[in-house]
Amino acid sequence: MDIDIIFKIAGIGILTAIINQILKIAGKEEIATFVTITGVVIVLFSVVSMISDLFNTVKTLFSIN
Amino acid sequence: MELIKVIVLGVVISFVAVLLKQIKPEYAIICVVVGSVILLGYILSSLTGVFDFFLNVVNKTGVNESLFYVILKIIGVGYLIEFSAGVCIDSGNTSIADKITLAGKIIILLIGFPVITNLFNMILDMV
Repeated sequence: MDIDIIFKIAGIGILTAIINQILKIAGKEEIATFVTITGVVIVLFSVVSMISDLFNTVKTLFSIN
Repeated sequence: MELIKVIVLGVVISFVAVLLKQIKPEYAIICVVVGSVILLGYILSSLTGVFDFFLNVVNKTGVNESLFYVILKIIGVGYLIEFSAGVCIDSGNTSIADKITLAGKIIILLIGFPVITNLFNMILDMV
């Protein structure tokens, strides 16, 4: 579980960079920004759920209300 | 064994973060956050046994159990505040990190406040 999420994020980052380059060459600048935003949103979905898991474990562990 | 895993994980995370900084800077921050979440979520789960032991010790000494929970809460709040402030500092905006640490101090004060009032009441009763 541990490492592959980080590599997934790295892969998405590199992928969006490549797609941006291609779109830039093809002259479609605005779609490139859309691709970047969607990439970040996809990654954020998985990150947010992980952070909430960590906060729940800390809450139950330290019995914070 | 745990130590090696944590060290390797930390090195890999920092390497990927540096790599991503050149290609896509916004992913570097996300990668660091995910790395720290994994690193600490992995270690924290093993703490439950330690706290149960301390709880037994506190019960044996006859001290009021709520005091122990106040200490535990303060440690938890301190840890969460430090974690989020660290993320803010990593992403470059230290002013937000200072605000979070200030808010954390205030929260800890509020948590510890009933203990102080109990102490004063005890002293007043004795006088």
